[in-house]
Amino acid sequence: MNANTQVEQNMDVKPHHKEQSRVSKVFKQLWKSKTGTVGLVIVLCVILMAVFADIIAPYDHTETNVSARLLPPFWMEGGSFNYILGTDNLGRDVLSRIIIGSKVSLLVGIASVIVAGAIGLFLGLVSGYYGKWIDQVIMRLVDSFLAIPNILFMLIILAVIGPSLTSIIIVLGVTTWVIYARMVRSETLSIKERDYVKSARAIGASDYRIIKKYILPNVVSSFIVIATLNVATTIILESSLSFLGLGIQSPDVSWGLMLSDGRDYLATSWWVATFPGLAITITVLGIIFLGDWLRDMLDPKTKS
Amino acid sequence: MRYFLSSILKVIPVLLMISFIVFFLVRLTGDPVSLMLPETATDQQREDLRQSLGLNDPIYIQYFTYMADVIQGDFGESFRYNQPAIDIVLERLPASFTLAISSMIIATIIAVPAGIYSAIKRNTFADLIITGSSVLGKAMPNFWLGIMLILILAVQFSIFPVSGSGTIAHLVLPSITLGTAIAAEMTRLIRSSMLEVLGSEYIRTARSKGLRETIVVNKHALRNALIPVVTIMALQTATLIGGTLITETVFSWPGMGQLLVQAVNARDMAVVQAATFIIAILVILSNLTADLTYRFLDPRIKYED
Amino acid sequence: MKLKLSIFALMMMFFLVACNPDSSEVDTGDEESSGETAEDDELVIANGSDMVTFDIHDHNNTSTEAIHVNLFNYLVKADGNGGFVGDLAEEWENIDERTWKFQLREGVTFHNGEEFTADDVKFTLERVANDDTLLEHGNYNQIAEVNVINDYELEIITENPEPALLNRLSRLGSGMLPSDYIDEEGWDTFLEEPVGTGPYQFTEWVKDDRVVLEPYEDYFGEAPKWNKVTFRSIPEDSTRVSELLTGGVDIAANIPPEDWERIEGDDAVKLADSPSQRVMMLVLRTAENEVTGDPKVREAIDLAIDNEAIVENLYNGAATPTRTRVTPGNNGANEDLYGQSNYDPERAIELLEEAGYGDGLEISFDAPSGRYLKDRETAELIQAMLSEVGITVDLQFNEWSTFTDKYSSRSFGEMFMIAYGNSMFDAALALDRLTQAQNEGETDYINDEVEQLLTEAESNMNQEERVKQYQKAQELIAEDRPHIYLFQMDSVYGLQENVDFEPRLDEMFYVDDLSKN
Repeated sequence: MNANTQVEQNMDVKPHHKEQSRVSKVFKQLWKSKTGTVGLVIVLCVILMAVFADIIAPYDHTETNVSARLLPPFWMEGGSFNYILGTDNLGRDVLSRIIIGSKVSLLVGIASVIVAGAIGLFLGLVSGYYGKWIDQVIMRLVDSFLAIPNILFMLIILAVIGPSLTSIIIVLGVTTWVIYARMVRSETLSIKERDYVKSARAIGASDYRIIKKYILPNVVSSFIVIATLNVATTIILESSLSFLGLGIQSPDVSWGLMLSDGRDYLATSWWVATFPGLAITITVLGIIFLGDWLRDMLDPKTKS
Repeated sequence: MRYFLSSILKVIPVLLMISFIVFFLVRLTGDPVSLMLPETATDQQREDLRQSLGLNDPIYIQYFTYMADVIQGDFGESFRYNQPAIDIVLERLPASFTLAISSMIIATIIAVPAGIYSAIKRNTFADLIITGSSVLGKAMPNFWLGIMLILILAVQFSIFPVSGSGTIAHLVLPSITLGTAIAAEMTRLIRSSMLEVLGSEYIRTARSKGLRETIVVNKHALRNALIPVVTIMALQTATLIGGTLITETVFSWPGMGQLLVQAVNARDMAVVQAATFIIAILVILSNLTADLTYRFLDPRIKYED
Repeated sequence: MKLKLSIFALMMMFFLVACNPDSSEVDTGDEESSGETAEDDELVIANGSDMVTFDIHDHNNTSTEAIHVNLFNYLVKADGNGGFVGDLAEEWENIDERTWKFQLREGVTFHNGEEFTADDVKFTLERVANDDTLLEHGNYNQIAEVNVINDYELEIITENPEPALLNRLSRLGSGMLPSDYIDEEGWDTFLEEPVGTGPYQFTEWVKDDRVVLEPYEDYFGEAPKWNKVTFRSIPEDSTRVSELLTGGVDIAANIPPEDWERIEGDDAVKLADSPSQRVMMLVLRTAENEVTGDPKVREAIDLAIDNEAIVENLYNGAATPTRTRVTPGNNGANEDLYGQSNYDPERAIELLEEAGYGDGLEISFDAPSGRYLKDRETAELIQAMLSEVGITVDLQFNEWSTFTDKYSSRSFGEMFMIAYGNSMFDAALALDRLTQAQNEGETDYINDEVEQLLTEAESNMNQEERVKQYQKAQELIAEDRPHIYLFQMDSVYGLQENVDFEPRLDEMFYVDDLSKN
């Protein structure tokens, strides 16, 4: 299945040239790419919202009020400014839940990418750098993981260990590391053969030093691109898990959980599910725009 | 040929690893007995059932017994259906395949023209719209799209049946639901594949020779850009099957996806194992086929090891 | 584009080869589309889950039994008032404490034409009584043997005096099976082509999709009404409701409260509801070293919970507050405790002060999530209500498998929530969990009077006295509160406007009791 690796490498991640200082260039380019700017602004807003969630949110996300159940948003008849985006079936404020839910959604997205990235980086480096049987073993492991659909894998594990914030993060991480491992491995393979690495080895530089000094810096930008895009993927996966009943569990709240719980109200009280759905869509949109821009910037080939 | 054989040989350790992963995952599920009996069952009833299911043996013995059976094509009995698990899974395959293929068709019909067009018209308004919608298609969770399609196209306008199976009409909404995410991904990939080809040396040469743009695109670029698409499609097999879990549940489509969701919920281990195994084999086979097709179509590609 | 097509054709071929064409077709195209209302002589019913199996002894699933009752008959049927009427049995008598004699109806045939005789009864009941791998075994191992006297007469001998035998025989697991057919063709054939004595016979079962039945012309009772009956499985609530609204199904089971408005607002469809056997309740630890070991704390919890408010707000009124699990329609029901709730938050605060918890106390509370209708919301409201009187509740939601793990290992904290059903329609099953043999590590409930009442009643063949014993026990339990009963849940169905259907307490679909006009 080397062709896959190759294609992926061609399509997704392109080998790039040496790292240079480009802070000022970065900002100039960011400004040029309108989608990149939009993406960055969205992502920054969401992060700020998550960080200051407890301060911004008008209500506590668990605060129920049975006399104010399923109130519509303020601009509709029956709505009020007390609940700007309306209330859910227990009379909880939708806006507050979205704001507080951003914490969990982002945490799940980012933390699971860190877990997956760490596993993938480690195994990819080992596999690409040392080669031989260890490469074979790791690559067969990669193939095994690729052969089982992510969502099925997660469904089984979460059914085993039970869904909680920690277990969801770990499971998302453990099932999505493959993409990083493949990318890191193929980059490592090509860098390993370069002359300066060969000569470093000839002088007797340790493996650790070679990896740290020559390989890691060359892998890092492709890595960041994939990681960014995967934050979006995991946010969506988390909502699918909620649909299957194995996502974030109440009283915690995430956008995925709100969307999934709200689906029964789509026909009668659309706002319960639509606003968290919008939050997911906008955030994912922002992340993908940002990721694409990062890719364009770090990869000279598709640059116009 | 040698490449083919070595690819086949690689499949064996992969299957072993999968069997290992799946078995231990599933066996750690805790106690299936408490899920099989009603809330009112007595402790004695629980213990009896556990004994009769062989759940009191040490776990490695359970694994070896299991593997010995699997090699003979026996995945054990389904708790839920009291039938061989493999039969239940195979019975569901045709339904899932019908759905998967029609989703793939829909995805291809959307993605190929969209991807090519947005690459040719790079950085125009049309490109922005196509790229934007493909991001939207990716950002929409499957179940949400499915429910919305039901509410609009089935309930509001009565164009398609809500759920179930039986006619071609039943296939439309679930296929759109499942195909959208794939289409979004494919569009993006085709676009960048196309851009790469368009920027390459020989296309520039073709252009400089003064060939008409449509000929350049159709004759030279398209062919080279579409070859990798085969592989992309194969790589999507796992995602596609993963998507059936949710889509089939929303539309009560009687395929393997719904079976798996129900089986996991009921801790019907035998079915989960059999289905995961079958899925893994299918994914591996489709990747292998794509790999070989790719090689066949583009002999320039060289293979390491 | 040619290239693309050829690649595609290749993929398709691969898929088709790999898919190993099987007998169960999906795209036959000859099935009736569910996009339009079925014919007048056809009936389509949508359940929230698929039928489990045709092995009537190896499941405990009410919605599966609801389908089976059309294919199989019991010896006797519950009349809904604690009595019984004959079905396959015409007469029966209790000869001594352990012996019951049955006289069978003559001229009954199975769907394959064979005659139904006492041998079939012996086969059916002894199979489940003797095979301990069957899920219903625990409800039938009270039967020692079945003696065939002649084709139409038999005796059932029980291990111990068994006052609830008729309850057992009028429910899940007692559908009479064709012994000759199964002997000759094997059990697996029976599971694929089940044969019973009922008004409808099996046509097909596409798993997770539909079970189709057709009328059996030689049925011994009134001629079957429907030309075709389809039970569909539609797990997703919103999809099931959408099917109802578009006329794809005649009846949809388990309609969640949030969709009632949609159904009520549509002239083509309507709602029907009935109490069910399921009672939502809290189970508390009563051992002395627990905070909930203090009866005052338990009473305070009970008084702090406003059952009416839960029923009104979460269930739109489709539930009935109760202080017992033995609800009307069950043998031994104590109707004085039914429909009651004793909400009194001020008294609850006083009780907590008397118990020495004036400054508040903390208890743990486990609830299942997604298992029962509105379980999560109910638990959240209870948490909020208890905090009003100064009880801090550490609420833990459990996905069902986690819940059952904790349940069977009895590792819940002070309090957990569960909704039990009762397919036996008898107080014995409902109160069994409170006997000292069963409650160890769960409630650890000790009340010698209750224990004595329950033990005596279990084998008391004097029905009147037995009912009194159970009623008394329920009163004592309602005072002691090892269980705090919350409410009896309704089952709610959506119907097409032209369908007449009286939902049943036992949730069965006897399709010939339904009509369309």
